[in-house]
Parts: sequence; structure tokens; C-alpha cells
Amino acid sequence: MKAFRVYCAMSFVFLVAFLFPLTVLSAESPADRQANNANLPAFLKKLGKEIADFKTLSTDFIQEKEMALFKKKLVLRGRIYLRKPNTIAWHVDSPVRYSVLITDKVIRQWDEDTNRVQEISLTQNPVFQNVLSQLTVWFSGDYTTLLETNTVRLVKIEPLTVEFIPHKKNIAATVIQKVTISFREDRTYLKQIRIHELSGDITTIIFTNTLLNAPLDQRNFEVKGHE
Amino acid sequence: MSDRYYLRFYQFLHANKKWVLASFVLVTLLAATGVFFVSYEGTINIMLPPDKKVVQSLDFLRDASFSDKVILSLALRDPKKTKKDLFHAADTLAASLAPPLFTSAITGFSFADVMEEFSLLQYAPQIFGEQDFKALDKKINPQAVSSRLHDIYQQSFRFESIFLSSFSRTDPIGIQRIVLEKLRALPASLGYDVMMEDGHFISKDGRHAMIIIQTSVPMTDGRRSRELIAALQDHLQHLPAYVTADIVSGHIHTVRNEEVIKQDITVAATIASFAFLFLFLFVFRDLRALFVFILPVIAVIWAIVIIAFVQDTLSYLIIGFGTAIVGISDYGLVVYIAMKQGTDISQSIQLAKLVFIDAITTIFSFVVLFFSAIHGYHQLALFSVLCLTLCLLFSMAVLPLILDRRQTGSIIHSSFAAGIKMDQWPAKRIVVIWSVLTAVFLVLAFFVQFDSDVKKLDGSGPEVLKTEQRFHEVWGGKSNQAILVVTGGSLEEAMEKNDQVFADVQKRIGAEHITNIASFWPSEKKRKENVQTWDRFWNEGREKKLRELIRQASARYEFSDQAFAPFFQGLYAHRVENAVPEGIIAHLQKRFVTVQNGEYRVLTFFPDEQRFLDALSTLPEQYPGTFLVSGKMLSSFISDFTAKEIRILAPLAVLFNVVFAWFFFRNWQEVLIALIPLITGVIWLIGIMALFNTPLNVITLVAVIITTGVIIDYGLGMTYEYGQNMNFGTIIAVTLSAASNIIGAGALLFAKHPALYSTAVAMVICMTAAYISAIVVIPSFCRIMKTGRREVPLP
Repeated sequence: MKAFRVYCAMSFVFLVAFLFPLTVLSAESPADRQANNANLPAFLKKLGKEIADFKTLSTDFIQEKEMALFKKKLVLRGRIYLRKPNTIAWHVDSPVRYSVLITDKVIRQWDEDTNRVQEISLTQNPVFQNVLSQLTVWFSGDYTTLLETNTVRLVKIEPLTVEFIPHKKNIAATVIQKVTISFREDRTYLKQIRIHELSGDITTIIFTNTLLNAPLDQRNFEVKGHE
Repeated sequence: MSDRYYLRFYQFLHANKKWVLASFVLVTLLAATGVFFVSYEGTINIMLPPDKKVVQSLDFLRDASFSDKVILSLALRDPKKTKKDLFHAADTLAASLAPPLFTSAITGFSFADVMEEFSLLQYAPQIFGEQDFKALDKKINPQAVSSRLHDIYQQSFRFESIFLSSFSRTDPIGIQRIVLEKLRALPASLGYDVMMEDGHFISKDGRHAMIIIQTSVPMTDGRRSRELIAALQDHLQHLPAYVTADIVSGHIHTVRNEEVIKQDITVAATIASFAFLFLFLFVFRDLRALFVFILPVIAVIWAIVIIAFVQDTLSYLIIGFGTAIVGISDYGLVVYIAMKQGTDISQSIQLAKLVFIDAITTIFSFVVLFFSAIHGYHQLALFSVLCLTLCLLFSMAVLPLILDRRQTGSIIHSSFAAGIKMDQWPAKRIVVIWSVLTAVFLVLAFFVQFDSDVKKLDGSGPEVLKTEQRFHEVWGGKSNQAILVVTGGSLEEAMEKNDQVFADVQKRIGAEHITNIASFWPSEKKRKENVQTWDRFWNEGREKKLRELIRQASARYEFSDQAFAPFFQGLYAHRVENAVPEGIIAHLQKRFVTVQNGEYRVLTFFPDEQRFLDALSTLPEQYPGTFLVSGKMLSSFISDFTAKEIRILAPLAVLFNVVFAWFFFRNWQEVLIALIPLITGVIWLIGIMALFNTPLNVITLVAVIITTGVIIDYGLGMTYEYGQNMNFGTIIAVTLSAASNIIGAGALLFAKHPALYSTAVAMVICMTAAYISAIVVIPSFCRIMKTGRREVPLP
């Protein structure tokens, strides 16, 4: 069973997905970015401090899954809302409707298939719990831990693309081959994240309409019958 | 003949008075220094029966690694702080606990750890049993397969799907659920309501974390237990302000019991000292009377040092009894009063006889304890006999040298002395009242309860009990667990036997009541058998059937042809492996398997309830090398054993008293009269205990046996006074003796330790009843039976 590997890998992806938009924001010029590339520990540390300003996040996403499980590529569309310190709402709008709200105390999820809201204690769901705890670490700005467990590589400057390869001792390495993130041309927002699994499955999440510190409605964090 | 030797001894002492006294003082100083080098222990274990089953249980509990555990409950006090903060505090604390005192500190484990150690298709074939295959078989049908594939499809759209979808390829029918059901029993095996979160033990309320600390310090080691608890409390000082900690451990009981007993002894000794001081200064009005009090204390000091040469350690409980013995040993008092009354040399011989017979009866009350099988009673007997012999020696040899025979006079006011003489009281009426009361208490005595629960004799104090109550409110585990132990010469031998016993126990009391390692990690032999069964299970057409069912259901969800290829490829790829040395299975084995003197012991936990004990009682006969460890059973053994012992010891104590009384009086009538305080003390005590619904316990029974040796003296003295027409001031001596005895024992009424308090209650009731009967009933009987005031020529 690879459950634990899965937890760790999920955490890994989420932290990359939600944090690297901010790394772009923090790099103010190409010269700065090159300097950071040469000295990644200092670069990540600096970004971590600047992330403290980030309170909320709102973004749409398209998730493409090339999986050995399915004959065809699976394409999901939806939205993500995030409020610090640890509240995340993940809404899938198509091809099926599904929502989940994760706080530090509880997980509430709803799906179109059952049309029921299910409330789960975090204690009973280590997957969510692990993701959330990892995210909290990241929001706190402790990016240096990434360097301890991953090889971080700047793939290209234009568009800015960074690759994370888990070290062999990193539990995520048992599931993930690498995670590549790239940024929009204006280098303000994250463009996409691509996860290469050891199984050969590839998941690509493309972020659109990303807004930082946007005012969020309480309805964004409601799971039943979301619009 | 003996009189002549006594006279020679008496003359020798007086001729060498300075040398005798100087030697006495020197030895006492050396002994007083030696007291600080003696090793003491504070447990009650030595007072428990050495019955095979009791010894086996106690040895097991003492030596088993889990008995040397300390459990910490960390509570989150700040509502703003999260479990993450709590776990961080727990991890930091656990990391700081290092050898040699702390051998390991576990903050939890994760089911994922187990799954990480073995892949699903590697682990499941090894542990699946008959019931699991039945459950698996039910999953191989069109409805179940379709439902499972539907779940996998739905999961693909979920938040956690990024990786779980690929994981689902190895488990198209939900084998993981069956495995997780088995693993859910793991936290329950701890005996507490423990949940797992983020690899940590957490309470149901989510506000407490648990750390299980393994230590090299045995619970019975008082000195090292103190070091351990002090070191742990030092570490707890470094916890963040929002976290508090409760320590639950046998070690803390050992430490607190020692502290309480020491404190009790100090308090009792102080109260007794002041009471004696008051008695001697205001009743005797003579500073030299202090020697009467000091000599028994010196005897205790000498005895402690002498015993230390014979035994490795001396129990604090035994020393506690020593305080009572100081009150008991009143020979100095008799000698002092007689000398104050102006006895001459010839009377000294009569006096010596009385003091000697007093001492002998008391000593033999303790000698009776040598006939007990309980080791602690032997130590108590040895210590007491030594104390009393030294007291007798000091009273006869040292005290007369200190006291000046020429300084005679009244000890107490004459009106008081006259007041306690019962010559004028209506004899028949007194006898009738005594007979009625004794008969009533005798009837009540048949209803007295015996409490064999030794836990009630634990003196750890309310603070410790409150901590444990708080712990149980959070973590449950209040109902005790019993343990079934299966032994073997090797790990595999023990594990194989455990597999058989586990199957049997499941049938007897139900799988839901037991926790056994076999449910998630059986013996290697069994795992090999399971693997063969697994292969047979799939080869009997189920693999083919499942492939077809999946193929049929997949079309609806557009699953690929190779969607579940990893499952079918891994179906027979398993191999039987041993647990990784530092892995989670090896770690869990420590909970269920212990090694003692090269013998492997596999443990099964179940609730300590009579119905389960009854159901499993025949297992040890059926499976040699198997035994049960149960607190309930232990209490029952102790109760039965004590009852058996009392049936032997009590008649022996009475027999010794009767025999010595007869040797002293050579007259059955006087012997029977002399026994009145003994009969009264014992019957009234048991009757009063029954009247107030207070059960007897192991300690009160010992106290009663000890007290019989004291109260027989009241009867001997009073009967001697009335029978031999002596003028030693026996009534005053008996009164002051009783007063000193009751002060000595009564001081322990202020003890906080239940064992010492029980002793005090029993002794005070017994002595008071005996004293009243001695000075009221004996003279009345003597007058009625016309034994009193006979003129007997002095030798």
C-alpha cells in the first residue's frame, strides 16, 4: 500500500501549486531572479518572508489527467478558494460537480452523485490532514525544508519554469517523479503545475483568473449546491 | 536455678556499670550512623502471598517490559493553539528524553507506516485468515465490483484524486478496507481510547496527546524511580506554556508511597514523642522516665542495622510497624514502676519473671509469623522479635543501671490509682455486661467483610489519584485489562503457539474482546500457510471471475484495458518476509512480545472480567506454558491465601499464648482469666469493624496478630497481681502500658498511608477493648471465681 506516499506527494503538490505564484511576485526583476537561481536557499527564504502578506487566494483551474486507469484524458474544471491560515475550498464544476471544504477542524464534502454533505473529522482522514498540515508549514514561510527534501531546478527563465525532484529519501519520491511549475508570461501568476508520477500518470493543473488578497464571499466556502 | 543466674547477671552488671553503659552508648552511636546507609524499599509486594499463581503474575508484571513504562498525557490549554502545536510539543519533548533513564519515547504511529512497510499485495496475503477470505469472496460479484469501480471513478474527480487514482489500480475490490479494519484494533491494544492523527496518539476530544516512554528503571526500584520522576519533571519544565502534562506510572506510586510513609513515620514519631514526653514528665514527674521511652527507640535503631546485615533491603512498611512496636515494648515501664515502688532484690526476681513472660508472649506472637509463607511477614517477625528482645535486654540490663533504686515515690496521684482499682465495682453485673457485649460482637464478627484489593492500600495520595482520574477521563482505560501469556523457547515457537491459542480464545470470548498480535502479524508458519491459502483462493477461478466482472463494468466508466493490471500482476508476487527491525511491525511486537530469561512471551489483552476469566480458566491446562495475569484473579488468590494463613496462624498465636500462660500460672483457671483481654480485643475489634461496615484487609490481620502478643500481657499482669498478691503496681503498669501502647499505635491514626492507618485503627480498637476488659473484667472474674488475694509466699 502506498497510502502514506500518496499523502506526502499530495502535500508536495499543493504546496507547490499555491506558493509559487508568490515566488514570482517576490522576484521583481530578471536580474534578481538570476541571482536567486544561483542561490536558491536564500531565494526561497526571501520568498517565504514575503508570503506573510498573502491572506486569500481565488483561482479557476483546469485539471487534465492522463491516466493509465482511463482510456481517455480526463478534464476537470473548477475553482479554488483559500483563506489563511488553513481554510481551503476546492470546487469541481464539470464533468461532475463536487466540493470540499477543509479547515483545521473538519472536512465537509459534497458530490453530485450522492447529493449528500459528508462531514469528516480530520482525525479520520489522514490524506486531507496531511495536505493541510503541509500547507500550513508552507504558509508559514519555511521554504528551506523544500531544499532539504527536493532538488530544485530552474528549468527556464521565459516563461519562468521551476522543477522539483524529490530526493530518494523523501517519501514523496515513492510516488512522484517530478513536479514542474511554470508561470504566466507576465510572471505575476502561476500558469500551470504538472505532476509526473512514477506510474506514468501525468496530472496538469492550469490556473486561470488567479487573484491574491481578493475579497472572498462566505458562499465561496460553502460546499452544498455551489454555483 | 534460673533465679541464681539472674542474680549473678544482676550483680555483674552493677559491678561493671560504667563499662556496660559506655559500651551501650558507643554501639548505639554506631548503629544510629549505620541507619543512614541501609537500603530501603517502599513497595507492598513483600506483604503479598508467594502462591505460585500470585508469584507468576507478580514476576510477570515486575519483569515484563511494559510494566516499566511511563505514560504522559499532554493537554492543550490555549484554545488558540492547534493540534499541530500540541504534536510539535510532544515530538520535542519525546526527542529530549534520552538514555540511560529513558530508553524510548513514542508519540504514536500511523497506519500508513504499516502499509508503507509492506505493500498491500505483499501484506494482505500473509495476514488474511478464514474470515477475511469470506469477506473477500463477498466482494467478487457483479454488484460489488460495479459499486467499487463506480467509487474509483467518482474518486477521480475529488480533491485527493491526484494520486489516489493510480493507487486504485492495485486495489479494484477494496482489500485495503479489510486490512485497515484489522489495524484499527492496534490503538485499542494500548488499553486506552487512543486515536491516530498525523502519526500521533491523540484523545477523542482532540486536545490531548500521549507519549509512551519506555524506561530501564524497574517500578520497584525506589531510588532510581525518584531519579526518573525528577528527570522527567525537569524535562516537563521546558514544555510551552500552552501545554500541561500529567504523568501516569507505577514509578510515581513507588515514589509517592515512600514519601507518604516517610512523612507518616515522622508525624507519628513526633506525636508519639510529645505524648510520651507529656506522659513521662507530667504523670511520672521524673526526667529519668525519658529513658523508658528512649530505650525502645534505641532498640529499633539497633534492629534496623542488624537486619540490614541479614537482608539486602528493609521495607519502609516494616519500619512503620516499628513505630507501633516502640509503643508495644513497655517492659522498661514495668521495670521503672516496680523500681519506683521500691522493689527489693528478691522482688526483682519476681519482676523479672513477669517482664520475661510478657516479652516471651509478645515475641511469640511475632514468631508465629515465621509460619506464614509470606516473605514480608518473615521480615516483620525478624525485625519485631529483634526489637522486642533488645527492649527486654535493655529494660533488664541497662535501665536498672540508669535508675536509682533509692529514689522511690508515688508515680501518679493516689486518687487516680484508687480510681482505676475495680475492687468495689459490682463484679457480677460487670461480667454480665461484658458477656453480652462480647456475644453481640461475636455475632457481628461473622458478618465482617474481607477486602483483598491491595490497590486500596496504595498511599500515593489524592494528587496522584486525581491525576489518574483526569487521565482516565481523557483516555478511558479505567477498566483493567487482563493478560493471557503464551510462552515459547524461541520467538517462532511462541508465535506459533499463540496462533493456536488466539484461535481458541476467539471462539471462547469473541474476537471483539481481545487484542492479539496474531490478528495483524501471525507466526511465520501461519503466514506461509496464509499465503498458500491466498494463492488457492485466487486459483480456484476467482481471479478469472474478477477479471471478467471488471471487464464488464469498466466499459461504463471508460476504464482502460490495463486499468487494473498492477493488481493482477501483483496477485501472486508476494513472499513471506520478516518484520523490518526498526519498522512499525517490529515496534508493535514490543507491545505484544516480551523476552524474559531467554523465554519468549506473547501477550493477549482482554477485559479483566470474571466471565472472561472463567471462560479462559482451562487454557493453562490445555496449553502448557500458558498462564493468565489478572488483577481480579490476584485479589481472589490473596483473599483465599490470607484466609488459609489465618486459619493456621491465629490458632498458633492463641496456642503459644495459652501454653506460656500455663507455664507461668500452672493453673487453668488463671490461664483462662488471663486470656480475657485477648478474647475481648480480637472479638470486639472484628465486631466493631463489621458494625461500621469496615472490611478487614491483609494489613489489619497482621496488626491483630501483633496486638494479641501485647494484650495478653494485660491479662497476665492483672491476673498475676490478683493471683500472686504482688505489689509491683501492676494496675498502674497495665494502665500506663496500655496508654503507651495506644499512643504508639494511635500516633499512626494521623498517617496518610492507608496501610499504616489500617494498622492504627485495628491496634487502637483491639488494645482499648483489651485494656478495659483487663482492668474491669479480670478483677471481677477473680472475685467471682474466688481466685483473688491468695497469699503466696515470695521465694
